[in-house]
Amino acid sequence: MNCETCQLKELVVEPLEIRDVLRCILHTIVFHRALGLVRPKDVDCELFDITYVQCGDAELERKIDEKINLFIGWVEKHPNKKSQVCLSFYEVRNKQATWMFSNKTERLYWEQWYINLHVVNTKTHGKSHNSKAPINPGDNALEESSSRRASLESALREVLFQIIKFVNEKKDHIPSVTNSEVISFPYEITTPR
Amino acid sequence: MASSPCNSYSEPPIIEQVITEFFAKSLHIILESRSPYASSRNHSVDHFISSPSSSSSSSSSRPRDKWFNLALRDCPAALENFDLWRKSILEPLVIDVLLVHRSSASNATRLSPGGCLLRNFSGKDRFPMSPRMEELETKSDKTIERWVIQYESRKESCFGREVYSGSRKSTAASSHSSEIPTLYKKTYKRTIVMLRSLYVFVKLLPAYKIFQELNSSGRICPLSLSHRITPFVEPFTRAEDAEMNQFSFVPIDTPCGRLSLTVSYLPALEDKSSEPSTPLSTQFIMDYVGGPTTDPLKMFQSVRSAGPLPHFVSITRQHSWSNDHGFMRSGSPSPSPTYSDSQAMHCDPNVRFPPHHLHDQSPSASSVLHNASVAHKKNTSCEDYLSSSPFSPMSSPSAPTPNAFLRSESAPVNIPSPRRGRNSGLLNQALPPSSPKPQRPGCSPRTDTLRAQITTPSASQTCSPEGKLRTKKEPLRSGDFETVISLAKLQALSFGKDEVGSLPGLKCSSPHIPFSTSSSRLSLLDEFDDSEFACPFADDEDITESCNRVKLSEGKDQINENSESRGLVPVQRSPDAAVGALVQMLKTAPPLRQDLSKSVRSSQVFRGDFWNPRLQHNECMEAEVERSESPASNSGITASGLFKPRTTADALEELRIYKEMKEWLLKKGGSKSLGDSHKDKPACGGGGLEEKS
Repeated sequence: MNCETCQLKELVVEPLEIRDVLRCILHTIVFHRALGLVRPKDVDCELFDITYVQCGDAELERKIDEKINLFIGWVEKHPNKKSQVCLSFYEVRNKQATWMFSNKTERLYWEQWYINLHVVNTKTHGKSHNSKAPINPGDNALEESSSRRASLESALREVLFQIIKFVNEKKDHIPSVTNSEVISFPYEITTPR
Repeated sequence: MASSPCNSYSEPPIIEQVITEFFAKSLHIILESRSPYASSRNHSVDHFISSPSSSSSSSSSRPRDKWFNLALRDCPAALENFDLWRKSILEPLVIDVLLVHRSSASNATRLSPGGCLLRNFSGKDRFPMSPRMEELETKSDKTIERWVIQYESRKESCFGREVYSGSRKSTAASSHSSEIPTLYKKTYKRTIVMLRSLYVFVKLLPAYKIFQELNSSGRICPLSLSHRITPFVEPFTRAEDAEMNQFSFVPIDTPCGRLSLTVSYLPALEDKSSEPSTPLSTQFIMDYVGGPTTDPLKMFQSVRSAGPLPHFVSITRQHSWSNDHGFMRSGSPSPSPTYSDSQAMHCDPNVRFPPHHLHDQSPSASSVLHNASVAHKKNTSCEDYLSSSPFSPMSSPSAPTPNAFLRSESAPVNIPSPRRGRNSGLLNQALPPSSPKPQRPGCSPRTDTLRAQITTPSASQTCSPEGKLRTKKEPLRSGDFETVISLAKLQALSFGKDEVGSLPGLKCSSPHIPFSTSSSRLSLLDEFDDSEFACPFADDEDITESCNRVKLSEGKDQINENSESRGLVPVQRSPDAAVGALVQMLKTAPPLRQDLSKSVRSSQVFRGDFWNPRLQHNECMEAEVERSESPASNSGITASGLFKPRTTADALEELRIYKEMKEWLLKKGGSKSLGDSHKDKPACGGGGLEEKS
């Protein structure tokens, strides 16, 4: 079985946008791989005019938020860096035990999604310190922020289209569904350390 | 569905069912996100129509929800229309999403919820169009999306055909039949994934935004979304085709055919929605009610928040006059509990002169803003200002401008001008008043005289209680020092509002300093003895008040008489002024040791000046001077050196204090004849004072 890998387009985000972006992408991917009975939940992004879909599974939501928090913590320690969040789907296979005591399981990854983020803190990077009245730089900053956010929204939408396209193109590598759970396949979210 | 000849669809039944349900589910997903008001708001309405194809799942309330493991909300529009297409899966299912612009509201009410236009081109008009609907046809509607769900069967080598036609073949059939579940599972899994993608995709297109807006607005809008279901594809015009973007889902291969799903959509819809979606840019509201431009009282507050703390505010804080408005209030020395800023002022005297400062700085509130560090500079600037300001502490109590200004800064506070005047004067210890006080005509000359007298010990002798000093010679040296110390302390403690507390001698804790203080006080007392004299740093009333306080604190009859004779105002005025003056003196005071030595020297000088011309017992006084001078001489600090680091105001203050002390001593001694002789400038002590002046 091949391991299909999808490198999503890099998104330039600010620290405050990480959570919204990652939630949108991770839930969209998992929704496509949650082949159990799903009652989809439409969620509007907080910062963007994008509606994504969740599986409606509380445990999934908790895990995703937990990983996002870990990533945000890492970003705080490593600001202004490019990083990846990896969502992997795998199968658990038991190795044939040569001895009764040795019963190892291994993970066979059949799909990996790499979410490429470039976290930029505009406050330390782009802002110019000037001696003007406080109103003028505030307006410029707002305009820059809104334009940057609009471009990020567009880029995020493209990423979602990329996911849809990849999901539709690659279907043969999906293993058989062996359970009736919402999340049909075990998954793993990896953040930088 | 029964198997049909090979020419028609020959999918296995289960596959056919999958295909059928795929159509239904796709329609459901699309209309759920494109048909306003028709999506599942009413869960009680179950328009599900059981069909033979779904008989297996008819037991559940929503059997179709379980198809493809995607439980959707009710969508009556989708469920109503799907039955039309149950008959043939070979015909494509074309769903046009229309953006309808209604010209009149009356027509809108006649529309079905969500503005659903139903056309059945299958040949049977199951939903005959009403005239209203015909009228709607004339309305402008634009196809913004077209979804085409289609099943294309393969005419070639249909697997299903082989399965069912070759059922007689045991081995082949068994092998093929065994693959059906596999094929079914595979097909089913792919359709699940495709429908997941469709569900996500429909929410990414621009039409979904309009759908959301129409659903959320809950009102009749000129624009609406409708849909049109046809079994055939109406070709777009070239213009329309050029505008459209297309997206095709990867077709799902079935044993006998292929399921395809494509969409043509407008990538960017014009602002068809009734409400603008562009967010307003943030703007600062300057003229809001209660803002700095509308409410001058809040000017300082707003300005303070915009920049560093204003000097004005910082000044006031130490004396609990500070508040959110940053204006001063007369009164308690305790810091304001509401003011938590760490920038505390240290220029107490300046507290009383915010209007001065402001007036001096700039008429605008912003000019008032200074860093707290500037407060220290304001000490001197305050003095300078007062020296040059038309508003002087000695001016009439009814100084309208400062009071008015102060009121503008602090509406609920009314600072009485006399107090301020007194405080002003007292705070500027050594500055002469610019204008004479009415109560004391000739104050200004007095001030000048006082200044001059600061440099000369004899000047201090003008105080009325000079005689008291004369009576005390030897005792004055040691015991008088202690007395003076106690006097100074008592002044600082008991004269809350009196600026007398700001004895220069109090700056240094050394016991010698009070001696100098006493000397200066004595001289000052001499000066103040005459009503003509106007204390440079306070009103005459204040000066005399200070004198009286000293006397009162000591419990001396002469002092009391003096105070009574002068009709001084109660000592309860401006306690903050005294504290402020003291603080100012302390801050402007030279280093302790230096001051100590200098003060000792100056005290000796003053004493010499005081005593030499006045003392009836000249020998004693000279002896005193000699003895007092000896430590000073040993210190090697000249009188001139004493005043170098200090300002004229300080010197004048010292002089005043010396005079007061002198007066007290004289009164204590019972001699009043020193008052006249104090006016003479002795030769030995005058140099320092002269240099200072």
